[in-house]
Amino acid sequence: MSADARVNNEPGFVLHTYPFKETSVVAEVFTRDHGRVALIARGARRPTSTLRGLMQPFTPLLLSWFGKSELRTLHAAEWQGGLLAPQGRALMCGFYLNELLLRLLARGDAHETLYDRYVATLEQLAGEAGRSDYERATYLERILRRFEKNLLSEIGYGATFDVDADSGAPVQAQVRYVFQPERGALQASGQPGCPVSGQTLIDLATDRFERPATLVEAKALMRTLINHTLGAKPLYTRQLLRELTELTQ
Amino acid sequence: MQPAALENLITALRVLPGVGPKSAARMAYHLLQRDRRGAEALAGALNHALTHLHHCRLCNNFSEAEVCEVCASPNRDKRQLAVVEMPADFNMMEATQSYGGLYFVLMGRLSPLDGMGPREIHLDRLISRALDGVVEEVVLATNFTPEGEATAHTIGELLKARGLKVSRLARGVPVGGELEYVDSGTLAQAVRDRRTV
Ligand SMILES: [Zn+2]
Repeated sequence: MSADARVNNEPGFVLHTYPFKETSVVAEVFTRDHGRVALIARGARRPTSTLRGLMQPFTPLLLSWFGKSELRTLHAAEWQGGLLAPQGRALMCGFYLNELLLRLLARGDAHETLYDRYVATLEQLAGEAGRSDYERATYLERILRRFEKNLLSEIGYGATFDVDADSGAPVQAQVRYVFQPERGALQASGQPGCPVSGQTLIDLATDRFERPATLVEAKALMRTLINHTLGAKPLYTRQLLRELTELTQ
Repeated sequence: MQPAALENLITALRVLPGVGPKSAARMAYHLLQRDRRGAEALAGALNHALTHLHHCRLCNNFSEAEVCEVCASPNRDKRQLAVVEMPADFNMMEATQSYGGLYFVLMGRLSPLDGMGPREIHLDRLISRALDGVVEEVVLATNFTPEGEATAHTIGELLKARGLKVSRLARGVPVGGELEYVDSGTLAQAVRDRRTV
């Protein structure tokens, strides 16, 4: 076995697991230096397995594995400590982040910056407790929009928000635009695209999400860009939140 | 080339979780050669279960009657309703002999990334069950995994909004647990969930 086939104590998180054979699981993990990796955790579904409680999403781990095939073999996982799992509504947001990473990251591409952003985002999600319902909702929305923007630019779908794609001039705050995933911001004159105000585009470019109208428009715009990148298959977490909203009414 | 009947049996056995072609073949040979009686009993039991078992109208657990024994029992506290993920969890709760209320078995959990949503775990049925006018407290006894927590949170929000008292199983250091040997994740949660004494 060559040296690069063995990885030791790599920081990472489980994004999702699924059962494999009688007692094992396959864990899709997101690691700092190796990106997304699929690991077989042998025996992880046995009642006495120490891996059982560890191979869960939102748990900071140090992972060691070997192998070169598409499916590597996990040989050790250790709880890294320091991070508490998000709860309640923030936990749902966490599942959304994981689904985005699963769907948008190719296996084996390292994304150190995005990984650090993911850890920071989980910390922010876990720190939402003690806010009022309204404050919590907007707090969570801001966290998600920042993450979506970072994710898209990290995987090469980064958009330029504050430049008029027709004229090359800076976007103006008071003007209405439509945003087309393939082209960018265009002054609105009846063409298709996601309608958005100049102010929101400027806020997006400068990472400012304090204005309520910006949050609303940024959500729609990010959704358009993510759907464009994902293709036809919808996100499960979005569908689940929609079904839950129906039950609430 | 094997006889079609044998092929069919092997294929049929592969519906069991974790059973691949080799294990299925081994099982088939065992049943046919070593234990034909057992095979007959298995076929009979499977048939019987398929025709006689369905979900209890009240708790959604498996039952032969329309309403299961637990739900029909006069000795149960009908003001408490515990929500568990699977029949195995129901059995564990019963084994503790510490809970005298009724149950609702979800037969799963919310698992966004597996496409398990509110419909798949019968949340509409749970809501109408909990709102029968008799239930006062709903005890959320789903697992302490992220999926179980998401399930508990969701059900809790839906039922609190409808005026029910909702509680969640406590968690922490196991009975007889020595801190030195408790896993760090459990200990960290126990610190977060500490209570005033
Ligand atoms: Zn019942």
